[in-house]
Amino acid sequence: MNFVTFVLRRLGLAVFVLLGVTVITFTLSHLVSSNPLVAWLGRASGNSQLAAEYVQKYHLNDPLYVQFGYYLNGLLHGDLGFSVFKGEPVSQAMVQTLPFTLQIAFFAILFTLAIGIPLGVMSAKYHHTAVDYGITGFYLAGIASPYFLLALFLLIVFTYTLRLLPSGGALSPGIPAPNPITNFQLIDSLIEGRWSTFLDGLVHLIMPSLALALGIFGYITRVLRASILDVLHANYIRTARAKGVDENTLFFKHALRNASISVVTLASIVVTWLVTGTLFVETIFAYPGIGQYAVQALSNLDYPSLLAITLVFAVIIVLSNLAADILYAVVDPEIRLR
Amino acid sequence: MSHRDSRSRRFLRLFLTGNQARLGVAIVITFFVTALFIATTGWAFLPYDPIRQNVGPVLAPPSLQHLFGTDNLGRDVFSRVVFATPNDLMVSCIVIGSSFMVGIFLGCIAGYWGGILDEVLMRSTDVIFAIPALILAMSIAIILGPGLIHMMYALMIIWWPPYARLARGEALKISQRNFIEAAKTSGISTLTVLRSHIIPNILTPLLAYATLDIGTVVIVYAGLSYLGLSVQPPTPDWGAMVNAYQDYLVSAPWLPLFPAFIIAVVVVGFSLLGNGLRDAVESHSIS
Repeated sequence: MNFVTFVLRRLGLAVFVLLGVTVITFTLSHLVSSNPLVAWLGRASGNSQLAAEYVQKYHLNDPLYVQFGYYLNGLLHGDLGFSVFKGEPVSQAMVQTLPFTLQIAFFAILFTLAIGIPLGVMSAKYHHTAVDYGITGFYLAGIASPYFLLALFLLIVFTYTLRLLPSGGALSPGIPAPNPITNFQLIDSLIEGRWSTFLDGLVHLIMPSLALALGIFGYITRVLRASILDVLHANYIRTARAKGVDENTLFFKHALRNASISVVTLASIVVTWLVTGTLFVETIFAYPGIGQYAVQALSNLDYPSLLAITLVFAVIIVLSNLAADILYAVVDPEIRLR
Repeated sequence: MSHRDSRSRRFLRLFLTGNQARLGVAIVITFFVTALFIATTGWAFLPYDPIRQNVGPVLAPPSLQHLFGTDNLGRDVFSRVVFATPNDLMVSCIVIGSSFMVGIFLGCIAGYWGGILDEVLMRSTDVIFAIPALILAMSIAIILGPGLIHMMYALMIIWWPPYARLARGEALKISQRNFIEAAKTSGISTLTVLRSHIIPNILTPLLAYATLDIGTVVIVYAGLSYLGLSVQPPTPDWGAMVNAYQDYLVSAPWLPLFPAFIIAVVVVGFSLLGNGLRDAVESHSIS
């Protein structure tokens, strides 16, 4: 199979999966109550004028498959429903909250790689020594800790004990938010040339993204360690060693380079846990992203928001899986043949 | 029989040689025994009634009288943490148990017969994998309403796909082997082939996966409980306790940390046990 066919096939699968996800969210919206109006309007479903508007908008008197058609059509046009709780279209709330979460995710992935890769390498280089066992204990503790434990722990250490970092929020009180140009606060403050705002935003991002990274890096460390040890036993390493390549070149140039491909396969698990973690981390650090929005939607029974968030999370996961698959096929041509 | 006996004994020896596996076994047994003990005797043997208020001073730090201190209502936190153990045991065991059975059932059908059934199963698992378990459970949880049993149902609905995939892969591998071909041609019924050849051969990898997976259920359940979707106050539950106590992070940091830490210890226990089991399965099948 050539590369283009491979990419097209993965793309087709991604579209199919997303379609499946919309079937699930549509089904859920009809399961909330025997009356789908309750799902879309919540406590406001008693308002008869609003109710009539919704019956017309969502074609609630038509057969289910027609309703699904309109639902899908709405989604394709960016209509994610209306949040009665927020008093604005869900898509608008999404445009405001998603950039904050992407900011956290960006730094969380950076931290994850910065912690996970060196520890995996060290753990493999000094395997079955005290260093290896120490690292294993550290990453097991990270994987096993619920995100709220990691977040609370960081708060106690960096805010209440060392008094180094702010306890939460996206910016310190008194610092005005930059004009929303891209809605990414860090980028907007740079565009306006407000360095102090940029730095303040950066400082507020450290703990939320670190809390996420501490819960995830273990997956990278574990797989990297195992695949480096695997590669070190491969025949071509033995050949290279026999030809007199020194151990450091062998380890860093040959083993590490080949083993690092395996890290790409972790994209799915990393992104899934990252997305899950934002719910807790953003709530604890009062960070106005999509995770905090989800928790608010949950406690206010704001079902349109919750279903839209489920969908957006699925899109993020499917797209990152797609990217990882393609990247994997680029670095390892053998995979395309399967 | 004696051959089989020595095989399983060797397996056990392999499994228990690692210190990590031993630590895992110790944690998991403590968890099981505590949970079963509480489930049968209630709080009779605990130092204090986990729900009664003002059994001690308010927000007292850990001491000999109150091992984990007391909370904002003067309740004994140690008694509350221990009293909540059966919740997690029940949820994790039932969710894993049902996923295990559904997984074997669907996986065998898909792997053995293949074709359109297989395609349908694989594509539906693809779809479910695209939504994080916690988020999907949350959406279902709203429909069912809060409560321990409802959370268990929500998790049972979404938890089976990896088991079905694993079982399907293993069943597919085995059904292509010669002895299955031989059994089929000698006229043994499909059901017998499945029961006596396919299922016994896929049990071990599934069991190893399930052990590792219990910790994940505990973590996701703790998340749902933290979000207020499970047991309602005043009944104690680990996740819910962390949420209720995190407001006292400045004045009494141990309050949210103890229940959160216990969750982590249980999860570590299961992953050490699972890792040990997996390693033993691998080296056992190699030797």
